[in-house]
Amino acid sequence: MSMTMKRTLWISGAIVLIALCFWFYQLWQGLILTNMVNSYSWGLYISGLAFFVGNAAGGLVLTSSIYLFGVKKLKPLAKLGALTAFANVTAAMLIVLPDIGKPLRLMYLALHPNFMSPLVWDVIVLNLYALASAIYLYILLLPELTGKLSWLAIKVNNPHDFSERWAKRIAPVALLFAIGIHVVTAWIFSTQGARDWWHSPAMAPDFVSVAIAVGTTVVLLAGALAYGTGQKYEEAYRILGLIIFMATCIHLFLMMNDLVIHAWYGNAETHRIMEIAWGDFAWAHIFEVAAPFIGAGLLMLPAVRRSLPLLALSSGMLIAGVFIHRFLIMPAAYNNIPMTLTPLGLPNTHWSLPIASGRFLPGMSTFLDQYSYTPSLVEVMILLGIMAYAVFLVVLAISKLPILVKGNA
Amino acid sequence: MKMGMVIDLEKCIGCRSCMVACKQHNAQPPETWWNRVFTPGSHRHLTPPAKGVEYFLPVHCQHCENAPCEKVCPVGATFHAEDGAVLIDFDRCIGCRYCMSACPYGVRQFNWEEAEKAHKRSGYQEKYHYGYPEEHRHDGRLVYMPLRPKGIVEKCTFCAQYRDKGELPACVQGCPGKARFVGDLDDPNSDVSTMIKARDAFTLLPEKGTKPTVFYLPPKPKEV
Amino acid sequence: MRLDRREFLRGAAGTGCAVAFGLKFFHFSDDPIAYAAEVDQLVRSTCSPNCTGACGFKARVTGGRISTLIQAADYPEESYNPRGCLRGLSMMDLIYGKDRLKYPLIRTGPRGSGKFRRATWDEALDYTAGKLKEISDKYGPEAIASTIQVPGTGYVQKGALVALTGLAGWTMHHGYDQNGDLPMFWPMTFGVQSEELESLEWINARTTLIFGSNVIQTRLPDAHHLMEAKRRGRVVVIDPDFCSTAAKADEWLPIKADTDAALGLGMARIIIDRGLYDVAFLQDFTDFPILVRQDTGKRLLAGEVATLASEAEGRNIPDYRRLFVVRCGEDFRILDPEKLDPTHAELEGEFEVTLTDGKTIQVETVFTALRKNLAPYTLDQVAAITGLDPVQIERVAVDAAENGPIHVIYGASNYQWYNGDLKGRALSLLPVLTGSIGKSGAGISTYAGQYRIRFNVKSWWFPEGTKINWVAYLHFLQGKGPNYPKNGIKAMVGGWGNPFDQHNMSNRLKERATSGELEFILTTDFQMSTSCMWSDVVLPAPSWYEKYDLTATILHPYLQLQQPAIKPLFESKSELWIFRELAKRLNPAFEGHFFPQLDDQQAALKVIELLLATGGAETTGITLEMLKKGPVRLHSPAPGDRQVPFYEQVRHRVPFPPPSYPAPIKATAQFLRSGRIEFYKDEDLFLKEGEQLPVHKETYVETEYKVNPAAREKYQLRYVTKNSLYRVHSTHSNNTILLELQDNKAKVFLNPLDAKKRGINNGELVQIYNDRGKTRAYAILDPGCSTGTAIFEEGWWSRYLGEESYNSLTYPWIKPLHEIYFVPGIWSPTTVWNECLVDVRRMSA
Repeated sequence: MSMTMKRTLWISGAIVLIALCFWFYQLWQGLILTNMVNSYSWGLYISGLAFFVGNAAGGLVLTSSIYLFGVKKLKPLAKLGALTAFANVTAAMLIVLPDIGKPLRLMYLALHPNFMSPLVWDVIVLNLYALASAIYLYILLLPELTGKLSWLAIKVNNPHDFSERWAKRIAPVALLFAIGIHVVTAWIFSTQGARDWWHSPAMAPDFVSVAIAVGTTVVLLAGALAYGTGQKYEEAYRILGLIIFMATCIHLFLMMNDLVIHAWYGNAETHRIMEIAWGDFAWAHIFEVAAPFIGAGLLMLPAVRRSLPLLALSSGMLIAGVFIHRFLIMPAAYNNIPMTLTPLGLPNTHWSLPIASGRFLPGMSTFLDQYSYTPSLVEVMILLGIMAYAVFLVVLAISKLPILVKGNA
Repeated sequence: MKMGMVIDLEKCIGCRSCMVACKQHNAQPPETWWNRVFTPGSHRHLTPPAKGVEYFLPVHCQHCENAPCEKVCPVGATFHAEDGAVLIDFDRCIGCRYCMSACPYGVRQFNWEEAEKAHKRSGYQEKYHYGYPEEHRHDGRLVYMPLRPKGIVEKCTFCAQYRDKGELPACVQGCPGKARFVGDLDDPNSDVSTMIKARDAFTLLPEKGTKPTVFYLPPKPKEV
Repeated sequence: MRLDRREFLRGAAGTGCAVAFGLKFFHFSDDPIAYAAEVDQLVRSTCSPNCTGACGFKARVTGGRISTLIQAADYPEESYNPRGCLRGLSMMDLIYGKDRLKYPLIRTGPRGSGKFRRATWDEALDYTAGKLKEISDKYGPEAIASTIQVPGTGYVQKGALVALTGLAGWTMHHGYDQNGDLPMFWPMTFGVQSEELESLEWINARTTLIFGSNVIQTRLPDAHHLMEAKRRGRVVVIDPDFCSTAAKADEWLPIKADTDAALGLGMARIIIDRGLYDVAFLQDFTDFPILVRQDTGKRLLAGEVATLASEAEGRNIPDYRRLFVVRCGEDFRILDPEKLDPTHAELEGEFEVTLTDGKTIQVETVFTALRKNLAPYTLDQVAAITGLDPVQIERVAVDAAENGPIHVIYGASNYQWYNGDLKGRALSLLPVLTGSIGKSGAGISTYAGQYRIRFNVKSWWFPEGTKINWVAYLHFLQGKGPNYPKNGIKAMVGGWGNPFDQHNMSNRLKERATSGELEFILTTDFQMSTSCMWSDVVLPAPSWYEKYDLTATILHPYLQLQQPAIKPLFESKSELWIFRELAKRLNPAFEGHFFPQLDDQQAALKVIELLLATGGAETTGITLEMLKKGPVRLHSPAPGDRQVPFYEQVRHRVPFPPPSYPAPIKATAQFLRSGRIEFYKDEDLFLKEGEQLPVHKETYVETEYKVNPAAREKYQLRYVTKNSLYRVHSTHSNNTILLELQDNKAKVFLNPLDAKKRGINNGELVQIYNDRGKTRAYAILDPGCSTGTAIFEEGWWSRYLGEESYNSLTYPWIKPLHEIYFVPGIWSPTTVWNECLVDVRRMSA
């Protein structure tokens, strides 16, 4: 194991432990340690869910490209892709844990599931995707599970053929799940008629396109860090860059489409949403549009793809832009109070019924129709811990398993 | 038997006694309010939004027939009682707060910390807190307890602990304006059914399709 | 109790884990600590702050503590149920709150600092008795002044202090005029303290005119009767500001503040001009036919008239009556003040009369004088003064006159002005002219404060040989006046009140306490109010869920019990016990009056029995057992014991005025020497001031502008200290539940234009100030608030206002007319809160 990898393991491991301490503290004191209130009841944790789910797409996008669409140049990145998929989808499931008020009751999901609930669907598909990416990874690893690792291998006649065959067979299923986790995660939000910001048919396709963009970026970044930006994988990176750019454009198109329709029609809810989106969060919105676009655009340039720092920067911009995009799921949903009406005697005005905050906010009224949410230290540390977990898992796997193609890294 | 509530906005004087009755009887700690009364259009309750315009609106759980909160609850903790009330099983709720995002009326309240701890902020003597003092189960499900633990969601239950004994909810008993009525919506001759028909009752956010069972009678228009 | 699987597992695994790890979340089933529901019982008491509600509440007692409160809703007339409000519903916040007084306290630091040490009862009582004796010996017993605030909220416990005051010969202030709640037009016009319909009668009025009363908020438990009155008839609100009652009314007249006399007179003029008045009623029940001398302005006395003098001589009438003269056809007749037989007298006319000395003079009827008086109050003139639309004024007046009975609700906010009595007299013309007096749904009512003593309380309040030296509170603040102790007032003994916030006008009370002019201050209360902070000895008393007492109010005629749901908390003792103990230390002979052989709860019950037995016609047949079952209606002359003022007078022609307990009839009947409703007052000062008949007088001319002409420019906002929904005066100022509903902030309401002129934005902290004092609050821009107004919601304890008393801005004005007689709480200088000018500026530099 290289020095860099060792260091990465130590640092990410430490962050994971620190985050665990914060989580235990939160378990003890309650979610009062977050900055959420009754009127703004989902925050960084659920944004994190959307974020990690998006990142998880990359792996199986890759595998379907290879095994369904025959893009053989991407093959060296396949195992890495499956690994990042597994790491991110498990991270997605983990980030939800601290958001649960009574985590010890999670068994009720198994004992008394309500199949009408998109959350239950999401739990199912996320688990299935985790399973699928683990199986995929295993199948891809199988031919190389020799020597010290042979105890892990199932006994088959021709591991290579077996691997190829099953990879091809599972590819469509995997693709289904790959699309599925984004659609279902989007449906958690977009089924909710109470929240106009979410209640759009464009959300599911948008989630898919974002996922393809950012998930692929994650794989590209991981690959570049693992294999470097030399000539060997230039073609693979070019293909990935193309996928990323097209997916980003589709995502931006879907966003703009929504915007144009609502801005044109201009009803009260839209005005309120625009107020929130372009008021306090103007810079965030500009960033969430510009950063992925610029990042993706840069990744189309061979010069960028050839330079590890520039590639990392562009990838980082896109990932950061998507992270902000996920964060912005919440403000316009919660600060646009659904219980808004036109008061009798005052046509053409809109008034929102404030909601009791449920927690002590010094200097503020208990009854809020506006809340400026920024995550607390506990929330940030726990999110960082989950990110660190994903990094830790990937690096550990790379060091212990034949993830990377030999002769590199 | 489908239970419904009628609130007469002509009789509602905006006194907020129902807010306090609800909070007190259901042991809601500081900053938790299941029931809210405000002056629509105004930035402050009892201040008119414009000269000559002022009326009052109490809002709490609408006990919707097509309740989005019930649909989204992953573990079925939110459920419909046989008479139509929407209740939360405190033994089952995992505190995911999906229902809070789903509710268009903003009526659900989360226990961000132990209620006992929150009550301490009132500065009462030696562990005092107000509220109906016993647990209550409806069909075996725990729908009221005097001190809720952290991590679960709560809201108006139409005072299940009282209705199951044949008494009226605290807000109805506590309304000095006599503006609140509870009755059987399935009976066309009940008080509530009669009032709804005769006084052009309306519901809140009908376009959301939730089918609330709380109906409002509009205030009497002034002659011009 | 069946142990189910969950509980077993909890017991086994959970407890074990909890013990091992000490962490609650390892409990297998997460059940929180269940509230021990032992010995659950329901006790009915009566919520009794000074709000006039007197609402029955049921307390649920669990484990010896009140767990819930709900309206008892047990009034025999279903229409009264449920009563109660948000304050009564959150009373436990005060009972179990952090400001609850626990033990007797003796001051150690400077007054107002809140530095006390705990004392035993004996020590505190001995110390108090010692100080009081010292002051009494040095300055005389009248140098000690006591106050019980207003009587109605507790006849038993409050009566104990009144009895002690009388036995010891102390001075006493009457809460009714101290509070400014005494509307002086009542004794002037009707010869009574005040009168009002019970709220159930509101629904029998066809037209309800509300002048300056925010009934929806201040008569909360009765508001639904107003809404029913609206459903059956019409409700019109006359108020400078668009309050929530105006929002509910059928019509709102946005009158310019303090110009209601002009409006009343203008409307009276319309009613008279159109002939919409009840001739027979005016002939028989008012002074309108009485003849007035045009030369002196005095009413003509029968003894002065040549043809009547000898007959007058022969008539035997009480000292407090006079024989006036009316014209019937061609003759002058004596008007019998002791009989209200039909007079058939001329309402109008000017006549020549020959006096006993041979002179002939011109006389006119009061009605004629009234007509003349009303001449300047044309529609246009009235519209100009009041700022109202003349068409609206006319319509409302005619509509009301043609749709009786009329009920006028006359609010404190309207009459608590220097010329409030003129306004009341003018507005009284409306029901009187139309004969809307003494019958169901009719009259004029003022509902300020539980002042009313509803039956004879002499047996408990005024034991044999008692002598109370009554001094009006305003005279105390001025430092001089009738009965004023020659050595001044050196000690304050009080309970059930908070004068250091509520009656600290121009900051005088705090100044007298700081300077040491007041040598001793004793207060009983159940919470550490501002007045307790400023006292030398603080004695903890119980709330109305911890003792027996008798409560009555003016909104309804029910007599109700306060009953103990819980034992008095900590070391608190009932006021009866406190003042009995004090009595015994001051003079062992005093103790005998207070049932010394019984414990104080038993003694209280005995007092109730005594009061019921000796209360007079009103309490005949009412027993303690009946009261224990629920509210009992006091008796009255009207059918069904309905509370309809002047029913006897109008229906049974009993002369005015009915008695106002506890004053003897001669004390109040002197105000109506004719035995009838009087609009014409001919005492010298009335004539001198030009107020023999009601007139409109300009605001502030005799007060603010007189003492400081610069005030016209400098202080252009009128300071209205109105009642808040969230308090009963200063009770509940510290209620954490209700504070949360107010964002924990004191507010001042400004018209947006006035705010803009001063650069004040909504929600900003501002200072309200004038030459006398200052306070602070958060500004609320209110489009309903009239310009030139700053509305502050009264009752905030100083600690919520940066220790700046909001009453430091008000002034204890005294109108000289209120001093021409002195009957405590009935004819007395009365506080005029609203006669106050201020300005407002932002606090931030």
